[in-house]
Amino acid sequence: MRGQEEQAVATAVITLMREVIYREVATHERVWDALQRHRASITDHFLAIGIDVVIDEIEGYAFLRTREPEEGEETLPRLVRRRSLTYNVSVLLVLLRKRMVEFESTDGDGKLVLSRDQMLDSMRTFQSGSTNEARVTEQIDRTIEQAASLGFLRELRGQPGAWEIRRILKAYVDAQTLSDFAGKLENYAGKGNTTND
Amino acid sequence: MELEDFDRLRERHPAWRLLRARNAPLVLSFLGRFFIEGNRGPTPAGELTTALDDLLYSIHRTVPERFDAEPASYLENWSSPESGWLRRFYPSGSEEVHYEATPALEKAFRWVEGLQAREFIGTESRLHILVDLLRQMVHGSETDPTSRIQELERRRDAIESELAEAREGRFAVIDETGVRDRYQQFSQTARELLGDFREVEDNLRGLDRSAREKIAAWDGGKGELLEELVATRTGIAASDQGRSFQAFYDFLLSEDRQVELSELLESVQQMPEVGADRRLRSVHHDWAEAAERTQQTVRNLSEQLRRFLEDQIWVENRRVMDLARAVEAAAIAVRDAPPRGDEIGLFVDEPGVPITLPFERPLYDPRPDVVVDSLLPPDPVEEIELEALFAQRFVDTARLAGNIRAVVPRRSTAALEDIIALYPVEEGVSEILGYLTLDGEEMSVEIGGDEIMIEYTDAENKRRRVRMPRVTVTRR
Repeated sequence: MRGQEEQAVATAVITLMREVIYREVATHERVWDALQRHRASITDHFLAIGIDVVIDEIEGYAFLRTREPEEGEETLPRLVRRRSLTYNVSVLLVLLRKRMVEFESTDGDGKLVLSRDQMLDSMRTFQSGSTNEARVTEQIDRTIEQAASLGFLRELRGQPGAWEIRRILKAYVDAQTLSDFAGKLENYAGKGNTTND
Repeated sequence: MELEDFDRLRERHPAWRLLRARNAPLVLSFLGRFFIEGNRGPTPAGELTTALDDLLYSIHRTVPERFDAEPASYLENWSSPESGWLRRFYPSGSEEVHYEATPALEKAFRWVEGLQAREFIGTESRLHILVDLLRQMVHGSETDPTSRIQELERRRDAIESELAEAREGRFAVIDETGVRDRYQQFSQTARELLGDFREVEDNLRGLDRSAREKIAAWDGGKGELLEELVATRTGIAASDQGRSFQAFYDFLLSEDRQVELSELLESVQQMPEVGADRRLRSVHHDWAEAAERTQQTVRNLSEQLRRFLEDQIWVENRRVMDLARAVEAAAIAVRDAPPRGDEIGLFVDEPGVPITLPFERPLYDPRPDVVVDSLLPPDPVEEIELEALFAQRFVDTARLAGNIRAVVPRRSTAALEDIIALYPVEEGVSEILGYLTLDGEEMSVEIGGDEIMIEYTDAENKRRRVRMPRVTVTRR
């Protein structure tokens, strides 16, 4: 029979495997609490399979990350998968990440909420000057949906068209990731230019 | 201040603009009552809109043409940058947008409130306060121990002589006017204090913002940045505003202080000559509430600022901005021929761990589906046989008793089958059962162990047989 502590730890482990845990989300309240109290048991559980539990007290979220093996350690097969996002979604996320830095430089307090129209405007500069406006709009709308399904955007309840940019974006789209993307894109741009010459 | 300064204030300062606005009476009466007199902090948009709606409704009952826009549009207008009377934002824990009063609103409201003529303007109490402040400044900042001791001794002597007089029954009592004077001073200052909190909070927010901007734009090393922040008192903790507020907060919230304030306010409330305003009775609670809100803001801002300053974050943010700009530039360059699909994109961890258990899914089952026919055919309509109801047979037990009396002498026994042989059954099996019910005073019916068969003719003249236990009838 599972004791109360074991039950709490098990629930936390399973939820972490499914999604990012947020302190402010009502359904994650118990799990967040368990993370505080039984932190050691939970992190040990994942340590055994080469995964780090990242808990950010201040930002209020927790998620899993592959633990980079240390010197001399054998590598384990990778459980947390990495994948390449589509170009459109990538550009959107970069713009949102930039906005987040700007937001924190001035206000910091509260949520960053953008409207769909604002995002449309920002993204339009990076689409070709196509005359088919409707198609461009649809494409951007789809991109927003994809970003939301990844968990980086959240539509506010009762306010369709108002999207919260979740702070977890900071953890997933960091300088390293950006640097790789920027490098590849610049390469591609360079190649394009030389063939045009 | 120069002419240009006045011009600028008249144009730009939200408080002055409010006084010049056509809808000023509505703004001041509604927002003033809701936020300032009600001492309310950030409120959800829904609540505020409902309150405004109620007010407009009651106004329209008498003057329908006035203020004919929707409540929501008024609120949006009042919180726009051109007005600046409400602050509009999303607090971290909520989905709904919140509104808060700005210091400008507070200023304008108090100014207009002060236009109402005052009954009398006390002067004595203010002089006392001024002298006391001077004393605090001079003696309080004295660092030389000798002068401090001298001052304390002087005070002690003054108290001693007062004590001596009091013991003889001579002490000065403040008269009615004096009390009223002081009360007026108290109520005015108490309200101003409450109003000032909003401005304090705004100032603190402003300090925080300039600190962040400085940090974000800083080009040099972090050590110099920190020095700069401290030197220019940019951070909250170092500024005059921050320190004064902290001192106030500690002073107010000490338990002794709270108890003392409660008692004093209570006693003042009782004084008849004062005509005390009931709302001021719990003003120390109002202060504590407002101070707590401000303190919370300070805590949040300090925490975030600390975070912002953290090495990693600071460096990372700068890099992020640079890289983001690089991406933007490249994206514009390729916008007519963007990379397709996910050839080139951000390479990120997938949130969560994908777990698929192969045996969670059942193996292929070639059996055909069970066809469930849940459609029952309707029952055919049956003729209910009511015959049975009408065919109740009435068994005349008296006749049966008569049969027995005729056949069985007193104090002797006969078998039921013999009786039936002599008096054939006319009314079917119920008649046989009827015999069994005759067990009573005159006769006794005994049911034996073994079984026999009795033949009879039923009411439809059919030969029937019934198997039943052997029954004997005894006549007493």
